[in-house]
Amino acid sequence: MTGDVPETVTAALADQQVAGQVCLEAGAGVGNTTAGLLTAGAKRVYAVTNDADHAATVRDRVGDGNADRLAVVTADLRATPLATDSVDLVTAHGLCNVLPPADLNAVAAELARVARPDSHLVVDDYAVPPASAAVTRLFALENAAARVVDGRPALTFYPAGVLAAMFADHGWAIERRKTLLDPVPWTEAHIEAHSDVVREYADELPDVVGEPLATMADNLVSAIGSERAGTMYSLAFRLADR
Amino acid sequence: METRALGDTGQESTVLTFGSIALNWLEQEGANQLVELVLDHGVNHFDVAPTYGDAELKLGPKLRQYREEVFLGCKTQEREYEGAAQKIDRSLNRLGIDTIDLYQIHGLEYEAELDTITADGGALDAIREAKAAGKIDHIGLTSHGNPQLIIDAIDRIDDLETVMFPLNPVVAGKDGDEYDYEAVLERCESEGIGTLGIKAFAKGSWPPTDELAEADRPYANWYEPVDTPEAIRERFDFAAAQSLDTVVSPGDPKLVKMVLDAASRSEGMDEARQRALIEEARHDDSPVPEQLHH
Ligand SMILES: C[S@@+](CC[C@H](N)C(=O)[O-])C[C@H]1O[C@@H](n2cnc3c(N)ncnc32)[C@H](O)[C@@H]1O
Repeated sequence: MTGDVPETVTAALADQQVAGQVCLEAGAGVGNTTAGLLTAGAKRVYAVTNDADHAATVRDRVGDGNADRLAVVTADLRATPLATDSVDLVTAHGLCNVLPPADLNAVAAELARVARPDSHLVVDDYAVPPASAAVTRLFALENAAARVVDGRPALTFYPAGVLAAMFADHGWAIERRKTLLDPVPWTEAHIEAHSDVVREYADELPDVVGEPLATMADNLVSAIGSERAGTMYSLAFRLADR
Repeated sequence: METRALGDTGQESTVLTFGSIALNWLEQEGANQLVELVLDHGVNHFDVAPTYGDAELKLGPKLRQYREEVFLGCKTQEREYEGAAQKIDRSLNRLGIDTIDLYQIHGLEYEAELDTITADGGALDAIREAKAAGKIDHIGLTSHGNPQLIIDAIDRIDDLETVMFPLNPVVAGKDGDEYDYEAVLERCESEGIGTLGIKAFAKGSWPPTDELAEADRPYANWYEPVDTPEAIRERFDFAAAQSLDTVVSPGDPKLVKMVLDAASRSEGMDEARQRALIEEARHDDSPVPEQLHH
């Protein structure tokens, strides 16, 4: 039992060879894709994240009964401890939008290094949400707070074509594109989770800045409630040549 | 309205089936008008049960007037021969007709019931006898229960021709075996068994009665329904996209017109949108920690 696997993950993996494959789940998050890969019969899953809490969550959620198939690795995706040419399938589900643009290239290069020739890559992410969407205001606030605190944005949404071209540059030939969600349901739980991020940044700042930021987040939560906006896409690649 | 083959029964059912329980809440004149409205929208499959108050009686007049145009499903909760035989005759009487097109074992919940139904002297004996006597045409089953139980029933009842079970984005998003109606759909598909979807319009359970007394509920349904034209259209399109043969309309007459409009104008639903609805529902009661992403 691996817990519920979201439809987005199931749909993204549906046309991929997973059973018997060595997989790298790049940016393991809460373990949705890790669960999907294990359910689909992966031989081994390296679930990599640079966040120790996420690593613990993934172990809690899917570790039971999968000790021989799952390795949760706490590492930076720009330089992982995995061997060159060792992976059959790489997944990056909702990863790119949390990568600072400056890191994207290095991560793509590293994924191409660990992947064996002819291996596959699945990249799932959000299209740029419409400017008119209310969630766009929340994401903008989140990015403003992140820039002030960390000097980098929290979220960057890439058009599918941009990611396709960027990975192509590292030898990944695009094989298909499909729409996973249209519209994307930003539920109250998602909105709440994003505003929590704003509040965490706000806590790091002097009260004069932090308090108004937190208030803006609260106001946005009540104004938005939940919203359906934008799309989520899936790109599948094959590693051609480097 | 679109029609689909109801399994291998030979019946081409409209993608919307009229849940005639809605008639129970109306006076006879209103019931007659609702049936006319349903027929005006082209619906050719009706479903009723003796347990739905006066629904059989109120359906009777218009059913008899349009008997040739309506494929009628009825049901029994009896599990043994005697009871089932009586209920068939009683329903024929109350409806005022000679033949019920589809007679369904209603609300199967436990394996033990299946034992009783299929044993000597069980309800199936009576249903088969009625079939031989021309009182019914096809045999079906309904269940809100475990999908595996439905599959067991398919295994054990050779002449089963249709099954009716819940399907909506909430159910579709749950992974456990106890929600795997997908497996039932696949099985039915491969065996030519017709499929009817219920609870397509269910939003959730009613609040507990100490918060909202039963008498204060705004709808007659035993669950809280979605009740805006957009939500109804969306739920209908979703259910119809799940490879069900037909979707049963909700039990409250106030919702029927909206559902008829949704079914008449339906243009299908692509997979990305189906997934969006499932994900939206899934997040309302997800055990997984707070998530920023999908
Ligand atoms: C939004 S989550 C991805 C969701 C996840 N794929 C799933 O299916 O549940 C993003 C993950 O990427 C991780 N991450 C972001 N940048 C990273 C980096 N440079 N190196 C390693 N992990 C990173 C984050 O810590 C987080 O665990």
